Amino acid sequence: MRKNRFLGVWTVLVFAFLLLPLVIVTITAFGEANVVQFPIQGFTFKWFGKALSSNSFMSACFYSLRLALVATLLALLVGIPGAYALARYSIKGKQLIKSFFLSPTIVPGTVLGFALFQVIVVQLQIPYDIGLLFGHFLIVLPYVIRIVGSSLEQFDFSIEEAAWTLGCGKIKTFFTIVLPNITSGISSAFLLAFINSFNNVPVSMFLIGPGTTTLPATLMGYLESGYDPTVPAFSVLMMLATIGIMFVVEKTLGIAALSK
Amino acid sequence: MAFFNLQDINVSYDKKNNILEGLNLEIEKGELVSLLGPSGCGKTTTLRVVAGFIEPTHGQFILDDTDMTKVPVHKRNFGLVFQSYALFPHLSVFDNVAFGLKLQKVSKEEIKKRVENILEVCDLKGFEKRFPKQLSGGQRQRVALARALVVEPKLLLLDEPLSNLDAKLRINMRVEIKRLQRKLGITTIFVTHDQEECFSISDKVAVMNGGVIEQYDTPENIYRTPKTEFVARFIGFENFIDLKRKDAHTYIASDGSEFVVDNGCDKEDPKGTIRPEDIQIVSSQDNVENKITGKVIVRTFLGKSYQYELDTPLGVIVVNGSSDHVLQAQDTVCVSLPKGKIVLV
Amino acid sequence: MKNQMKYLLLVPGIILLAVFLVMPLLSIFLPTIFTEAGVTLDSYIQFFQDPLNVRIFIRTLRVALITTIICVFLAVPAAYYMSRCKQSVKGILMTISIFPLLTNSVIRSFAWITILGRNGIINQILTSIGIVEEPIQMLYTEFAIVIGSVYLFLPLMLTTLAGVMDNIENDMMEAAESLGANRLVAFLKVILPLSLPGIIVGSTLVFTGTLSAYTTPQLLGGNSNTVMATFIYEKSMSLGDWEGTSVIAVIMIITTVIAMKVLNTIANRLDKRGGDNA
Repeated sequence: MRKNRFLGVWTVLVFAFLLLPLVIVTITAFGEANVVQFPIQGFTFKWFGKALSSNSFMSACFYSLRLALVATLLALLVGIPGAYALARYSIKGKQLIKSFFLSPTIVPGTVLGFALFQVIVVQLQIPYDIGLLFGHFLIVLPYVIRIVGSSLEQFDFSIEEAAWTLGCGKIKTFFTIVLPNITSGISSAFLLAFINSFNNVPVSMFLIGPGTTTLPATLMGYLESGYDPTVPAFSVLMMLATIGIMFVVEKTLGIAALSK
Repeated sequence: MAFFNLQDINVSYDKKNNILEGLNLEIEKGELVSLLGPSGCGKTTTLRVVAGFIEPTHGQFILDDTDMTKVPVHKRNFGLVFQSYALFPHLSVFDNVAFGLKLQKVSKEEIKKRVENILEVCDLKGFEKRFPKQLSGGQRQRVALARALVVEPKLLLLDEPLSNLDAKLRINMRVEIKRLQRKLGITTIFVTHDQEECFSISDKVAVMNGGVIEQYDTPENIYRTPKTEFVARFIGFENFIDLKRKDAHTYIASDGSEFVVDNGCDKEDPKGTIRPEDIQIVSSQDNVENKITGKVIVRTFLGKSYQYELDTPLGVIVVNGSSDHVLQAQDTVCVSLPKGKIVLV
Repeated sequence: MKNQMKYLLLVPGIILLAVFLVMPLLSIFLPTIFTEAGVTLDSYIQFFQDPLNVRIFIRTLRVALITTIICVFLAVPAAYYMSRCKQSVKGILMTISIFPLLTNSVIRSFAWITILGRNGIINQILTSIGIVEEPIQMLYTEFAIVIGSVYLFLPLMLTTLAGVMDNIENDMMEAAESLGANRLVAFLKVILPLSLPGIIVGSTLVFTGTLSAYTTPQLLGGNSNTVMATFIYEKSMSLGDWEGTSVIAVIMIITTVIAMKVLNTIANRLDKRGGDNA
């Protein structure tokens, strides 16, 4: 391939722009001073220790993990049968139903958060965390519909029919023939849904309550009220977790699974 | 000096293995020359060197007494037809063809005149407003050709332009290409791996293998007298028999039998080769030259004839026989290799 | 499978969406037009009569537009370069573009606080080499929101474009060059028009994303640079003005839908070109 130097330099600059800020965040986590500064003075790991022993960070982190897990599993439970029906059968208004399932993406997060807060929490007096859970469910459902849907569209349904002719019941066929063939789609839907739920801010901002606050919301709170290098330290830990996930994905599904 | 001249061209990507090695090629003005060879032989690389996409690591490319080796692609003014046609999907047929003229800042009226003219020549009248997606394979091919020809290029380069067409269209298109090339008198290089296509269209053929030209000659000469074993095999010779030279026209095979040939060679131990269809099946009493006796091992039906593999003292010999008299497996049969048809390589 | 069965599979999703999406949205939307005085658009007219609101609305659109333009400008050459790289290099670049997408937007905005702040990296550099004497105010400006948004959405534009440009054959560039176009002209006349559909898809994602982004304007914009997303939060959680918030929410949804429709129409028009196969 004949390359163009200008394009090469441009690309390097663009990628430097993408990476440098995160590198800077990482470096500031190691400074000894009590404020986040760059360049750093001294070198210490103490902020990592502080971050890991911080009650508010850790409990928010576990809450976020639980929330993302439940919201994602719920979305898979509801989304996979839906995506299957849409891909498998000729259904009246198929496009409309699909758009309906994908519609949470066009609702801005703050709008969704506010609407749920208004109706679920204020009017119906349902606890915050139920609202938060279903808010996150709505955010991640489109990922499941889109990704599982596209892997079902590539699925050759004559395989399913072959199983029926061999005497396999329809429900059994779904679990033993269809599901195993779309596992990579389900895995990448799971990951993207989980990560997006975990990272969500705008919906959560309206629906967090005492004891049910998410990690990004906690970080936001710190950033708005004054903070020390525990924030970058915790950020570094989160980025390491992301790198870990990406590494595993690269070895199993291929990194493209995360850009759907 | 010839109009077109590639001198001692080397191309390598990793500085160790040469894709082209000391390649020389001369073409006279107005000739159509084919580069023929299996995939990976360097024919496309040669074409890309000529087009300017690859700069050779060594050697020169001279055209019309001008050194073109370092001239960038867009300043060469060569017409190039790609295997995929590479029509611009976002442009209509007219705009595809006009693309090169617009870049040459030709006036609007002139562009219109020339595009219409070339579309007519290429039998594409009435397709101006269509988009590539709306054309059949043959039409796309002609648009690609029109686009390359309209700029009145100094050279026309065709990279397997017919390989994506079905068999019948392919024959029509190659006649068409030949007609246009003759009419416009444009020097043309045609890359192909199909020998029939290549023989039918070319003034000269360069058979390539492993980055070098094995033989460069007219189609007739290559067909009748291949110079190397590779060329012979590539164009349909089988039956390679190891021989030892006795004199210019007499050679001894491994079992001691003598072979007489019309066209001798200087090599001490050449191989004698012959096409299966040139071997004659004879009866054991016939007094004919270069007779071999063997047993039928395999029979294959080819349509107008049968092909037999014979087990002989000289190894397996492949022979074509008529469908009138069909041999069975295990039959013993005598064949004669006519001395005028044996080629020594 | 029985005919009803296939609908049964869709029912849970439809019910949940109806209860947790449609109903809440309707219940904030309906009161804004059904008032004691009947059906009226008064609350929307009132909204746009307040210059402060209009300023916020225009600022939101401006930030989204500038962000989109910068993203296109930065990503198109880089994505093209990426698509022409060797598979291994492409994989690395793809990984680098995906990583920020998976990283929390709070962290990504936080990075820019450190860079743009009063004692941030840029101000340190500027003062130390004597270009300015006093640190410049960069954080808590519209400029900061734009930078933060570009940073947030550039990876999305890159991955979208790289996918589209992967499908453009090398032959296209070579064909243009063989017809006398230098590489810049070939890029502008062939590669760019061919990637337009991708650019529009990417622009839709970036524009609507910036339109509704909350974290970045909240952290980098400060109090005086409110955009619609932060305005909603302020109006409801700080001021408790439910009806006013509902109006903003509806305007945001409509703006998003209009932006999508417009860009979609453009994309479709471009795609129609050439129609179906003959």
